[in-house]
Amino acid sequence: MKNTVNKITAVIMLIYISAVMFFIFFGKSSGVPIYGDKTDKEKAFSLSGIMNGKFGKYISERISTDFPARNHMISVDSGIRSAFTENIVNGVYVDEKMLLNAEISDRGTTSENAAIINRFCSEYDGTVYFTAVPTSSGVYDSYFPEYLRKNTESMQINSLYSELDENIRDIDAYNILKMLNENYIYYRNDTKWTSYGAYCVYRTVIQKLGFSPTAYDKYTIDHVADDFRGNLYERTFYSDVKPDIIDIYRYPDGAEILSCTGCDNDLKSFSGELYDKSLLESGDMYDMYLGEKRPLVKLRTTVNNERKLLVIKDSFADCFIPFLTQHYSEIDVIAPEYMEGSVEKYVDPANYEQILFLFGIDSMDDENLFDVLVTPLEERKSE
Amino acid sequence: MIYSSLLFIYVFFPFSLLAYYVTPAKYRDVTLLVLSMIFCAMNGVGFLIFMTVYTAMNFAACHLVGKYRKNKGMARSIMILALVLDISAVFVFRSDFFIAYRELLSIPEEFFPVGISFFTLSAAGILADVYTGKTKHNRNFVTFALYIIFFPRLIIGTPLRYSGFRRMLHSQHTGLADIGTGITFFVKGFAKKVIAADSLYALYSASVSVDIGEMPVLTAWLGAVSYLLSFYFTLSGFSDMSAGISRCFGFRIPKNFNYPIFSQNVRCFTARWHIQASQWFRQYIAKPLYSISDIRLYKDIVLIAVGGLIGFWYTFDAGGTICGIIWGIAITAETYFIKDKHLQATGRLYTFIIAVICTVFMAGESSAYSIKYLFAMIGGNRVLADSQSLYLLKSYVLILIVSIYTAASFFRNIIVRSRMKKVQNIITALSPVIVISMMILCTVLISYRGSSEILLLKM
Repeated sequence: MKNTVNKITAVIMLIYISAVMFFIFFGKSSGVPIYGDKTDKEKAFSLSGIMNGKFGKYISERISTDFPARNHMISVDSGIRSAFTENIVNGVYVDEKMLLNAEISDRGTTSENAAIINRFCSEYDGTVYFTAVPTSSGVYDSYFPEYLRKNTESMQINSLYSELDENIRDIDAYNILKMLNENYIYYRNDTKWTSYGAYCVYRTVIQKLGFSPTAYDKYTIDHVADDFRGNLYERTFYSDVKPDIIDIYRYPDGAEILSCTGCDNDLKSFSGELYDKSLLESGDMYDMYLGEKRPLVKLRTTVNNERKLLVIKDSFADCFIPFLTQHYSEIDVIAPEYMEGSVEKYVDPANYEQILFLFGIDSMDDENLFDVLVTPLEERKSE
Repeated sequence: MIYSSLLFIYVFFPFSLLAYYVTPAKYRDVTLLVLSMIFCAMNGVGFLIFMTVYTAMNFAACHLVGKYRKNKGMARSIMILALVLDISAVFVFRSDFFIAYRELLSIPEEFFPVGISFFTLSAAGILADVYTGKTKHNRNFVTFALYIIFFPRLIIGTPLRYSGFRRMLHSQHTGLADIGTGITFFVKGFAKKVIAADSLYALYSASVSVDIGEMPVLTAWLGAVSYLLSFYFTLSGFSDMSAGISRCFGFRIPKNFNYPIFSQNVRCFTARWHIQASQWFRQYIAKPLYSISDIRLYKDIVLIAVGGLIGFWYTFDAGGTICGIIWGIAITAETYFIKDKHLQATGRLYTFIIAVICTVFMAGESSAYSIKYLFAMIGGNRVLADSQSLYLLKSYVLILIVSIYTAASFFRNIIVRSRMKKVQNIITALSPVIVISMMILCTVLISYRGSSEILLLKM
C-alpha cells in the first residue's frame, strides 16, 4: 500500500509543481512588487552582479512577483500569522485600526547622513530649514508591543537635530503630529502622512519660513479616491483595515500654478501637474501628488513676490508642497532618491534665499541617499 | 538560492528532475554535476569558481596522496598541505578574525561560500581515507566533484563518507515511488523550517530585544527554548529537505536527526543529534585520539575537547566552544554518576535543561552576555514575568506547543508504533493530501519574501 501511496503522492505533487511553474512563466503576473531593497536589473546582469549572485537574487525576485495569485497568498499568510503568532506580518504590525511598519531599523546611519547634510549646507549662504517627519509607526508607537518601543523615531529625530549644524533651523513636526494623533493625519495602510497631517505641519513650517499660513476654512477639499491601499497593505494584503481617502486641498481664491515642469536625469523637461489624477489609476495612488517621480520639479505660481525656495525632499513632501505654492513665486524641488550626479547639474543652490529639507525620518536609515549632495562637491574641491 | 525558496521548489527542482530523467542512465552523473554547477552559479559565478578551484585542488591532492601512498612522508606532506588549505578556507570565511585576508584577496564582503563547513568535512574525510588506504582514490573527476558539490546536500546537507556516496551513486533506485517518498521528506523539512523554525526565531528575537539586566525569568526561558527549538528545526529541516531531494534522484541519505530534544539522557541526545556530523568527528578526530592511550582520564579529556571542537565548528566563536565543552562534561559526568539507564521524566528534564544552557552559550553574542542571560533565567533580575513576557507567551503558545509536540517523538509514535493498524492505514492513505496541503501552506508562508533564508548560523 505504501508504495502505491508514494506513487500517488509523486503524481499529485509533480502535477501541482508543473502547474505552478506553468503559471509562473505563462500566467498573468500579479504585479505585486517585492518590498524593500529590490535588485536592480542592470546591476544584476552586470559582471559583478553575475559574479556575486545578484542575478540569482533578481531571478528569485522575479519568480516571486510573477507567482500565481501572490496577493491572495499574502493575504492568507497575514491571516494565519496574526492568528497563530504575534500580530506582526511580514514586518508590519496589524492592528484593527491601522497597519504600522514594525521593522525598526538600528538608526545606524543617522549621524553619517547628518554630517553629509552639514557639509552641503556649509557651502551655502542662505537659510536652511530642516523638517524630519515621523512615519506612522513613530506617532502611533503606543500600539506596538513593548519590545518594539525602544529606539523610537522621536529619539532618532532628536539625535538628528542635535547633530545638524546650529545654523540649520530645525522644525519640530513630531510633537505637532503626536498631539493631533486622534485625527486622520496618517494613512491607515501606508507609512506616510495624509494631506491633513501635512497641513498641520505646514502651519508651523510656513511661519518659520516667514509667512502666515493659509487658514483651513479657506480650502475646498476634494476626496479624489477612497480606496487607497499603500505600502503597508502591499506587504500584508490585510483587508480588515479600512482603505484610505486621498484628498486634494484647493484654495479657490489663492494663487494659481502657472507651470509645473518635471525634468529627468538628462534635464529633458516634461510638463507635469501638481495633482496628476491619471496616476490614481496606477499602482500607488499617492503618486498623484506632484505627478511622476522625477529628480527635479519646477513650480511657477502667480504669487508676485519673486521669492524662491528650493525644497530637497523625499516622498513625504509630495502632498506638502501644494501648500507652499501660495507663498512663493518659484519653488524648485529636488529628490536625491532619483538624482544622478551633482546638485549643480539640476539647480544652483546659490540662487535661492531659502532651502527647505523635508524628509520622512525613515530616509535617514538610507545609507547612500544623501551622497549626491556632497560627492561632486568633494570632487570639485580636489580639482 | 536555497531549498526553501520559490525559485528552487517551483523552477529549479522540476527542471532538474526533468533533465535527470530524460538523460540516459549512463550520463546521469554528468547531468547531476552540471545541475549542481548551475545551482552554484545561481548563488554567484564567484561561488562556482570557488567551488571548482576547491574541488580541483582536493581532487589533485587525493590523486597525489594515492599515487605516493608508498612514500609515506610525501603522501603525508601532501595531505597536510591540502588539509591546511581546506581548513584555512573555512577559517577565512567563517571567522571575522580573518577579515583582513578576505580584503587582501579582494573578496567582496557579501561573498560567503554557503555550506563550507559541511563540504570541508567531506573533503577532509576523503583525504584522510585515501591516506589511510580505507578508500582507493577514484580517478573519475565527475564522481569526486559530485561528492563535493552535489546540490541536494550542498546547503547544510549531510556529511557522508566518500565510499558511501559512491555506493549510492552506483546503486540509485529511481522511480515514481522514490520521487513520492523524496517529496514527502522534502515537504516535512520545508514545514519544519517555515512553520516552526521561522516563527520560533521571531519569538527568540522578540525575547532577546529586552535589556538583559531587566529580563524576567519567563522571557529568558522563552528566548532560550525558542532558540534551541528553532536551531533544531532549522538543521533537521534542511537535512530533511536535502535527503528528500536526494531521494528524488535515487540517493538514500541516512537520517541526520532522530528526535533528540527530549531524550532520556545526554548520551542519548548526542546519539540522535546531527548524527552524520557527529559520526564524522568521532571517526576522524576522536577515534585516532582515543587510540593513543587507554587511561580513562585521558579519554574523558579527549571527549570533552572533541565536544568543544564540535561546538566551535557550529559557531566559530568562544560561545560555541563553551557549549561543546559543557556538553562533553555532561556526558562524562553521566557515565560516572548516573548508572540508571532508564531515567524517564527526570532524565528528559535534566537533558533538556543542559541543552537549554548550552543553547544560551551558542546563541549569545558574547560569553559575558550568556552568563548574564543564565542569571536572568534563574531569577537574578528579580522579575518573574512582566506584561511583555506574558504577551509573548500568549502570542506564541500554540507554535510552542506544536513545536514541542513534533520535536518529541509522540507524533512519530502514533504512526510507527500504533498497534491500531487502522490508524496507520488512514494516515498512510491521507498522506498525499497532507503533503500537498503542507506544501501549499508553506508556499503561502514564504509568498511574501519568496524564500525563507534565516539559517541562524553562517555555516
